[in-house]
Amino acid sequence: MASEAERRPQGMFECQLCALSAPYSYVGQKPPDTRSVVLLEESYILKDPFTADRDKFLVLGSRCSVCSRLVCVGPECSLFYSKRFCLPCVRENIAAFPQEIRQDVEKRKALAKMPHVKP
Amino acid sequence: MPPPRTREGRGHRDHHRAPHEEETPERWDWNHPETRRLLEDTFFRDEEYIRQGSEECQKFWAFFERFQRFQNLKTARKEEQDPGPPKHSIPALADLPRTYDPRYRINLSVLGPDTRGSREPGRRLPPERVAEFRRALLHYLDFGQKQAFGRLAKLQRERAALPIAQYGKRILQTLKEHQVVVVAGDTGCGKSTQVPQYLLAAGFSHVACTQPRRIACISLAKRVGFESLSQYGSQVGYQIRFESTRSAATKIVFLTVGLLLRQIQREPSLPQYQVLIVDEVHERHLHNDFLLGVLRRLLPQRPDLKVVLMSATINIALFSSYFGGAPVVQVPGRLFPITIVYQPPEVEPATAKSEKLDPRPFLRVLEAIDNKYPPEERGDLLVFLSGMAEISAVLEAAQTYASHTQRWVVLPLHSTLSVADQDKVFDVAPPGVRKCILSTNIAETSVTIDGIRFVVDSGKVKEMSYDPQAKLQRLQEFWISQASAEQRKGRAGRTGPGVCFRLYAESDYDAFAPYPVPEIRRVALDALVLQMKSMSLGDPRAFPFIEPPPPASLETAILYLRDQGALDGTEALTPIGSLLAQLPVDVVIGKMLVLGSTFHLAEPVLTIAAALSVQSPFTRSAQSNPECAAARRPLESDQGDPFTLFNIFNTWVQVKSERSRNSRKWCRRRGIEEHRLYEMANLRRQFKDLLEDHVLLAGTEAPRPGDSYSRLQQRRERQALYQLKRQHEEGAGRRRKVLRLQEEQDGASSDEDRGATADQDSCDSVDIQDVKFKLRHNLEQLQAAASSAQDLSRDQMALLKLVLGRGLYPQLAVPDPFNSGCKDSDQIFHTQTKQGTVLHPTCVFAGSPEVLHTQEPESRASDGSRDDKDKMSSKHQLLTFVSLLETNKPYLVNCVRVPALQHSNNVYDRDFEELGHVIVGPEGYTELKVQDDFLEEWRDLRTKGRVPKGWRWKGQIQTSNREQGRGLQEQLDPGADGVSESTSHHILSLFPQVPYSLRRLTGLEVQNLYVGPQTITAAPSLPGLFGSSTLSPHPSKGGYTVTDFLTYNCLTSDTDLYSDCLRTFWTCPHCDLHMPFTPLERITHENTCPNAPQGGSPGAEEADPEPLQKASALQRPYHCETCQKDFMFTPTEVLRHRKQHV
Repeated sequence: MASEAERRPQGMFECQLCALSAPYSYVGQKPPDTRSVVLLEESYILKDPFTADRDKFLVLGSRCSVCSRLVCVGPECSLFYSKRFCLPCVRENIAAFPQEIRQDVEKRKALAKMPHVKP
Repeated sequence: MPPPRTREGRGHRDHHRAPHEEETPERWDWNHPETRRLLEDTFFRDEEYIRQGSEECQKFWAFFERFQRFQNLKTARKEEQDPGPPKHSIPALADLPRTYDPRYRINLSVLGPDTRGSREPGRRLPPERVAEFRRALLHYLDFGQKQAFGRLAKLQRERAALPIAQYGKRILQTLKEHQVVVVAGDTGCGKSTQVPQYLLAAGFSHVACTQPRRIACISLAKRVGFESLSQYGSQVGYQIRFESTRSAATKIVFLTVGLLLRQIQREPSLPQYQVLIVDEVHERHLHNDFLLGVLRRLLPQRPDLKVVLMSATINIALFSSYFGGAPVVQVPGRLFPITIVYQPPEVEPATAKSEKLDPRPFLRVLEAIDNKYPPEERGDLLVFLSGMAEISAVLEAAQTYASHTQRWVVLPLHSTLSVADQDKVFDVAPPGVRKCILSTNIAETSVTIDGIRFVVDSGKVKEMSYDPQAKLQRLQEFWISQASAEQRKGRAGRTGPGVCFRLYAESDYDAFAPYPVPEIRRVALDALVLQMKSMSLGDPRAFPFIEPPPPASLETAILYLRDQGALDGTEALTPIGSLLAQLPVDVVIGKMLVLGSTFHLAEPVLTIAAALSVQSPFTRSAQSNPECAAARRPLESDQGDPFTLFNIFNTWVQVKSERSRNSRKWCRRRGIEEHRLYEMANLRRQFKDLLEDHVLLAGTEAPRPGDSYSRLQQRRERQALYQLKRQHEEGAGRRRKVLRLQEEQDGASSDEDRGATADQDSCDSVDIQDVKFKLRHNLEQLQAAASSAQDLSRDQMALLKLVLGRGLYPQLAVPDPFNSGCKDSDQIFHTQTKQGTVLHPTCVFAGSPEVLHTQEPESRASDGSRDDKDKMSSKHQLLTFVSLLETNKPYLVNCVRVPALQHSNNVYDRDFEELGHVIVGPEGYTELKVQDDFLEEWRDLRTKGRVPKGWRWKGQIQTSNREQGRGLQEQLDPGADGVSESTSHHILSLFPQVPYSLRRLTGLEVQNLYVGPQTITAAPSLPGLFGSSTLSPHPSKGGYTVTDFLTYNCLTSDTDLYSDCLRTFWTCPHCDLHMPFTPLERITHENTCPNAPQGGSPGAEEADPEPLQKASALQRPYHCETCQKDFMFTPTEVLRHRKQHV
């Protein structure tokens, strides 16, 4: 259980938009125990809780590159397009994004309005 | 690290279907094993995120194929060239890629082969292919991230949606202000899974949560571990009797109430916990009620300990007020509306009152559902019945109906089903078909089945009750309580609106008791009282139970424990008592274990004790299946049921050690539930450890294989086993299967076969139970014990029976004298408390009662009468039994036959007359009378048949903690008395030919059996006869207490034969003295004979003090006013005495 100790949660990650919270064990671009995968943003990372494999990680979220809010990677809160953007910032600056992203954001809005998909 | 460049314009087109179009010289085929191997060698090496050959690797390739297809479709569309937005003023937005590419949506990157250090395989791959592969891999990883995050988000959403989620803060706040908080919430509110997590989140790190059932501990630990994202960590664990996942890092542990009580027994202040959650307190289990009492006393001493009581919304005020008005946080349940339909059965004709349940009202409900609800509307039916007989009655009828309509799959659910059959209720029915689950009240609280829309409530329950007077357990049918009825109803509304059919009238419901009777009022309290004593809780009568048990039950238990030597005269725990308190078994079984180890019969007794402490391993179907019965026959023992179980266990161990894979099949063929045998093995191990801890057993040195090679071999084997176990656990989670219509008609055995093959498919033919068994036990040791058991000598066997008989005493039954003339089913037996009991149908003697009959052709006294009444024989037998259970008849369960006179003389409490007259039983109910012609011989033999000291342990030793354990052992050690196998041989070879009669005394006879209390002027003083021990008159029976289990001269005899004229000539075997002796004089001589061998003088314990006066039936205590003296006088003597004063 040595690895257990190494992986002690460093703190609680909490999304500033949807309040999703989970303990994270690492912040950075190079998840521990993984050599060949690197992250393209400073991420809050948790060991993937749904697998016994110790090397598997799960990215919880990161800071919006516009407003620096800490947001989760959930589609209702943020998107990644070479950088992390929270959805409010995307909407505010929607013109800066290519067509595909614009469409995508529209789609998400529609989805979020449906009653059974709770944010 | 720059994002890897991709060339999607080309890569996607050349998938394996068109390799020849490829401009690369070699044919390129993504599906080619060699291609894949090359890529895997490059990207999926051992230290990589995905490893070659892993399940993940397979998943990737499946993804890869889908991904390729998808890319093909997509690029078939026109690729739009977006000119891109103008440069932005916000820096973060200013350098966005000009051209959109899905790749930019992914927040991670995979290193290419070149950055991994160029290796041979990587260089042989064309760079475009590598790029293509990397791209797919990237998408695969991104997909994995999305999936996992989706699960996490869903989990949190679900948790937040639970009714209790809004109360979390309030619960924590209340707990901060109070020591005890009651959380009341109905099924589905989430209290059991959420409250521990709230505590964890609030920073508590030593939380215990008790559950009434083991299975709940495991499933809750799993669920809470999953929800708190530490499914594979160790902060959430469970601890049950034989299994624990607890470690130093564990913050929440789910454990059974019994286990927590044992922890309190060891450490009364429970220092290891900060918070204690006691779940399901409303169920009112014996242990839970007891725990509450213990906690109430403990709380003032542990002001820092917090307690959360969790309950359904039943009788909350009781718990709150018991803890001084503890605050209650009430949480609404999450139930959909349920329609109640009262459907009392029409009044049946009183004449047709058969014992079998009428299934028609139940079929009517099935029919009504079929008529009213279209089959597309899913929703299963749960039927609550009182017991197994009722389930089979309805099962039969419902199956006929189901085969007719093809719209139902009917499944039974009760605790004696095999585990595999129980699991079937969780499987799903095919479309258009509903499950109909026929269940006992097990589905009321213990088992929760999803998808139930309809409930049928029979309103009945079969419950065990305890009769302290008759010391008998009774399984009776009762109306349920209103609380149970509500609970049953609630099962219909867990997943949607439901309907509850109540097969009784609303007026019946109104007449139901509000709550069920708590267990403490229904069971024997022996074990509870013993545990209370060992926890130093003082007088059980004064214990502040939340609702006190019936005083009679307490008194019976205390008296019983005193009789058994667990408590002394002042009701203090004896050393043996404290040992028994640590054995997690009935007192009788505990006694057996202690005796067994003192008589060097530990191995067989361990097995038998374990076998008698688990549920019967015989499956129900096996009873009716003649093939199973035939296969089992060679294992049956005509000595009694415990020996049959003994044989089964031993043979099973042999089967396991020879060909372990087949043990499951071996069991199935014989109608044995293998799970019970695993439990036996576990229990046996636990008993052994406990006995070793108390130095009653010498620690076993495991036979270590000498050479390093075999040690290595062994280590490898164990490692392989661990590997298997891990694999099983990782792939854990039984997948739901789709049930087949008509499945049940095939009978259980073929079902299990099917189940077994399915299991084998799913878990690689690993029998995980077998793996666990091998990891936990030393099979070699077990096998050695098993094979030595198979060649127990006749003497050892007889001694084993003595041990069992002593352990089970006073649970013995006398066969009715007319049994030999009756047919098998009419054989009756009389116990001390209950007349006319019968053998349980599973009992080995039920099929062959003739082995219990006294077969002696030359019976002299019976004069041609065909029964055994007053028959003189040397072969009378008694039945000693483990439990007495009354259902429709009183049944003797788990019987052993024992030779009557030998056992009466050696191991049972008894009262003696010198005239070949033995009365057995604490209150005296069985009489053995030796035939007159053999009186001399009997007397002679009797004095030899001394009772080994080891049979008795009362109040001899002061402590039994580990340091002084040796002392305990010495005290118990029969070796000091020279009891060994040869002694048992000696005991049993006594009386081989002495004919005697055996009969149960009538109540009236018992009343007049004893001379009664007497006031005797002087204790018999025969100096030297008993050494230092003094004889005291027996307070109730009269006569003298020779030892605590032998009273002499207390019986009323019809003739006054004790006189000097009974002197007979006798020659002392040691000093050859030849002269006339009374029996007493003879014993006195034997005791003091200078030539007698050392080491226990004959008759030391049984010698009879001659009272100063001759015993006479007419003598009564007489107090003379004039001379102020007490006498024993006959009326004539009184007159004579009075005359002196005149």
